[in-house]
Amino acid sequence: MKKNRIVALAATATVTALLVAGCSSGGGSSSPSSATGKVTLKFWSWAPGTDKLVAEWNKSHPDIQVKHTDAGGGDASSAKLLTASRAGNAPDLSAVEYTTLPSLIVAGVPVDLTKDVTAATKKNYAKGTLQQVTFDGHIYGLPQDVGPMALIYRSDILKKYDIAVPTTWDEFGAAAAKVKAADPSATLASLPPDQTGFFAGVATQAGAEWWSIKNGKWTVGIADKASLDVADFFQGLADKGYISTEPILTPAWNAEVNTDKVLSWPSALWAPGVISGVAPATVGKWTMAPLPQWKKGDSAVAYQGGSAVIVTKDSKHTKEAAEFAQWLNASKTGASNLLTISNVYPAAISGQQDATKTAPPALMPKQTDYYSTAAKISSNTIPVTWGPDYNVANTAFGDTLSKAIQDHTSWSQAFKDVQKTVVADMKKSGFKVTN
Amino acid sequence: MTATLTPRTPTTARSRPSRRRRGRSAPYFFLLPALVLFVLFMVVPIIYAAWLSLQTYRIEGGGILGTRVRVFTGLSNYVSALTDPDLLSGFGHLGLYAVIAVPVTLGLALLFALLLDVPAARGTRFSRTAIFIPYAVPGVVAALLWGFLYLPGTSPFSDITNALGLGSIPFLKEPGIFGSMANISIWGGVGFNMIIIFTSLRGIPADIYEAARLDGADERQIALSIKIPLVVPALVLTAIFSLIGALQLYGEPTTLKPMTSIISQTWVPLMTIYKDAFLTDDLPSAAALSVILALGTVVLSAIVLGITNRRTSGARS
Repeated sequence: MKKNRIVALAATATVTALLVAGCSSGGGSSSPSSATGKVTLKFWSWAPGTDKLVAEWNKSHPDIQVKHTDAGGGDASSAKLLTASRAGNAPDLSAVEYTTLPSLIVAGVPVDLTKDVTAATKKNYAKGTLQQVTFDGHIYGLPQDVGPMALIYRSDILKKYDIAVPTTWDEFGAAAAKVKAADPSATLASLPPDQTGFFAGVATQAGAEWWSIKNGKWTVGIADKASLDVADFFQGLADKGYISTEPILTPAWNAEVNTDKVLSWPSALWAPGVISGVAPATVGKWTMAPLPQWKKGDSAVAYQGGSAVIVTKDSKHTKEAAEFAQWLNASKTGASNLLTISNVYPAAISGQQDATKTAPPALMPKQTDYYSTAAKISSNTIPVTWGPDYNVANTAFGDTLSKAIQDHTSWSQAFKDVQKTVVADMKKSGFKVTN
Repeated sequence: MTATLTPRTPTTARSRPSRRRRGRSAPYFFLLPALVLFVLFMVVPIIYAAWLSLQTYRIEGGGILGTRVRVFTGLSNYVSALTDPDLLSGFGHLGLYAVIAVPVTLGLALLFALLLDVPAARGTRFSRTAIFIPYAVPGVVAALLWGFLYLPGTSPFSDITNALGLGSIPFLKEPGIFGSMANISIWGGVGFNMIIIFTSLRGIPADIYEAARLDGADERQIALSIKIPLVVPALVLTAIFSLIGALQLYGEPTTLKPMTSIISQTWVPLMTIYKDAFLTDDLPSAAALSVILALGTVVLSAIVLGITNRRTSGARS
């Protein structure tokens, strides 16, 4: 009897411990090359329509066949990729977000592609775009799409309330107040604490540098002067009830967008596709404008989101993989396909030029200047360096700012706490940090 | 325990023909499949997790980014886990949830089982099935379903209070969130626990009730003085199950997380383990926390068993 009990207890203990041990399941195995010289490459990507782009490549390249898998977007696939890479069976190629690329480089996942990237490829990228995948002068990936920040808004309702499109954040705050006055159940926008990318973007726009490198040392600036001013500004709007801090892209938020209760979404150029999906009732009633500025007359914006394609160290065919990645993202055909089939804003210049001749997205069919506005926005972006522990910052930011909102404490103190967490994590990992 | 009360027919000791002894290795041979599986899928992973929990990642090599390598670090992961205020508040959330969920689940399960066991009860088969059905609903589906019933935008309950001018019910705010979270697992868990207790009630021989009725006991007295003491072993079992289930709270808060900013990424310990392992890529910390949680579960279960054992043996003497 007693023995049985001990065994039972041991069993319950094991089940809990197994949770962690169970995470070493592998992904795709490395590609075998047959005697005929035919090469098969495995490719993870979440961009819609990637299977069609891959099929086109496979038709014209019988010797380099690509097998596409949708391993889930953003956060999910970066964790899977790390695990697969550690187990030695990562796919040959994978899409990654710019924000997680540094942490993947540190973990040794991507290979250095500097020698494989052709001059033609380099010419098809703006300097700032290529900088997002370049570290210490080495190129680690091919930019696929970029997300220069922009504002999409319900032109019909703002017009009804006689509210001008905000060009500065002060105007944005005034517009939010007017919306509340006109319809207390509506809000101009929801800016929830888990949108780290948004807050990082507008802080960058204000002159902040959340991560920077000088003389081989890192400096963390999540709590620099510009960032704290941004925190105070948005806390002011939230405290007055002008903007909401409820989570976005949830059933509740989607319902509110659909029923005309959320009137704008400050985010990036990928927003129209998202809204078409979650709020179909509002299609055709939106317009895109440049993101509001901190200083009137400024025009530079930061990036929010966007992804690149890397070649992993587990690939036995780096050269072929690099060739495919360049065709997919930087060739004229590839970039054009990304625009028309995947419906993303291509990172390559040729794709962005093609865009100006394309009809506007379905969400704003009447806005004929959509893509020329988009081209103007993306011609003046602020280059950003993401730290090697962006994931730590991301979770800490969401949790800490949520708590501040919940407890009605200072947002700028929350930014300072995140800064502390990030600096401590980088020091623990062994990075040289000046903070 | 119950055996002392069950009337036993004396077993006639049959003298078996003494068999020739088989090889001594036979028992081990039969144990082998279980042992191999146990070692492969239990012992080895545990040892690996424990070993992993003593490592950490460090940056080595030149350049700005360098390369991450795993190095031995001793107990530092345990120290940082145990001194992490987020983990402490995670255990706090878990405690509040368990304090609501475990007693209410067991109380309702016992109540329903006793009601179904009353001889005058009608439609028992239907009621039993109806109470049990939520257990068959997958946890994530249940959490989603309740999530929509809680969300101010979609909640029919909040629709009613809104219509009455009282505003929406703060299901997903503090402190309402603990009740809301517990409610999901109570809804799903009562049926299962009820079946265990009910089965145990059915095992009680009817002559005991007959004797009690002859002595003038009513149904309430029978329930309180006879049935409950006799199903204590079943209650202990369900209590342990519920307690372990409460410590493993993960699915409900993870499913509700996108619906409210209240639930952080470290809201309960298992969510912290997930975050360490899959979001911030710190497997050693996740391993250390897993070991702590596993040991905590063992200790807590042992305490509960110890207390209930002393009680039952005390009652017997």
